[in-house]
Amino acid sequence: MKVGFFVGCNTAFNRPDLEQAVRFALPALGVELDDLEGQSCCPTWGTLPSIDLVGWCALGARNFALAEEKGLDMVTVCGSCYGSLAESKHKMLHDPELKAGVNAMLKEIGREFKGTSNIRQAVNFLYKEAGPEKIGAALRYRLDGLTVAVQPGCHSLWPSEVYVDPEEDSFHPAVLREMCAALGASAPYYSRLTDCCGMGGMRSTDMERSFKLVLTKLASIKEEIDPDLIVTGCSSCLIQLDTAQAFLQKDRLIDYEIPVLHYMQLLALCLGADPQQITGLAKTNVSRVVNRIRGDENE
Amino acid sequence: MSNAIAEPQVIDLSLGELDLVDEIKELGGEELLECIQCAKCAAVCPMALAGFPFFNKRVIQAILIGSRETLLDDSSIWACQSCNRCTEICPRQVRPFEIILAMRRVAVREFALPTLTTDGLKSLFDVGHAVYLKEAGKSRKKVGLPEKPPSTLAHPQALRELQAIMRKTALAELGIIPMGEAEVAGSCEV
Repeated sequence: MKVGFFVGCNTAFNRPDLEQAVRFALPALGVELDDLEGQSCCPTWGTLPSIDLVGWCALGARNFALAEEKGLDMVTVCGSCYGSLAESKHKMLHDPELKAGVNAMLKEIGREFKGTSNIRQAVNFLYKEAGPEKIGAALRYRLDGLTVAVQPGCHSLWPSEVYVDPEEDSFHPAVLREMCAALGASAPYYSRLTDCCGMGGMRSTDMERSFKLVLTKLASIKEEIDPDLIVTGCSSCLIQLDTAQAFLQKDRLIDYEIPVLHYMQLLALCLGADPQQITGLAKTNVSRVVNRIRGDENE
Repeated sequence: MSNAIAEPQVIDLSLGELDLVDEIKELGGEELLECIQCAKCAAVCPMALAGFPFFNKRVIQAILIGSRETLLDDSSIWACQSCNRCTEICPRQVRPFEIILAMRRVAVREFALPTLTTDGLKSLFDVGHAVYLKEAGKSRKKVGLPEKPPSTLAHPQALRELQAIMRKTALAELGIIPMGEAEVAGSCEV
């Protein structure tokens, strides 16, 4: 199976170790990656979607066209890319006038949006296309004895009508928990599991309020399940939960740190990837849990 | 966050700008008048949880009474996470998130937008990425990747395609960012 890897901005520039994890894990599970050369920003919410509906859809449609020309679906690890692209496609397919307007714009650059390719979120994509059993059988290292707190991320859940791989019940998501269980980890429920991480527009507008959401979530995670690791399904959740803890510690709002990884980093690790290449840019201290997983006690 | 009891505020409804409703409907908030202010959207909204004064339900309420300045003077609409919990839960299919996006479009047309939004748009036009860190090449190399991702950043022709599209959007008429010959921008974190 082959898919286009939609990298997006935050993964490419903030957390290229996550990009490297995708480039390791998907091929290791038999999924070939195409680079979709010339892809751009999805575009994200605070840009063209906030200016102009047609403009939003046109940039999204250009990205879709790159995948359509190769007959591929796109896979991303970023919630914003997933949401923006899926929503723009949904709008174009349900509004012929909008689609025609977009295609008039694309015609000038020699492209066309047909609607034949899908945007898919890596974890949900693997859940459907590979499945927990096949993943479990391919592992070099397992997470037996480890407890993780899952953070699926808003955009993998809502609005469910625009996604090709939706959860059965978006307010009680199960996919990321099952996918962590496939690696051997225990991934229990906690009461703030579906809470937003506070990244994105909120963090750009008001960091204090944004971190208030992180604090509420961390308190729930720490008190209810006290995990070894937080595992996200979204690159923005990864960046927020990985970077916010130092601020909260400095302000004496927390006296602990929980390491944070994206699911694809954890998966790549379990499949035997070089830990430096796939987790090397984490701000939280992930080395202890990484060593425990790999059995490198003396490193 | 300690002032639990808000100061009572008198709003003179006769001063409301009722054309705001039409503007919102034109700019993507078509279902505005379906709202019954039931507050299911507020119950699931991260902005309400974080303590922003104007979250989905209250943005809609302010629009319905034509209180344009209230919304333009407050940064809340830009803090919306686009998470679409409200879209999912709304029993009237109002799509509150679309109304917040429409309100942003109104604000942009009055040049009431945050600096970071302008920076993000400029970066999107200049390199094809709203979030761009000029120094990222080093960390990309450190983890074994090429300095540039396989995007508009590494493909000038693709960037020209993106710029041609952007010049055809409302952004060009508004003149918020320079849209001439491309230059490589500095870092931009949105």
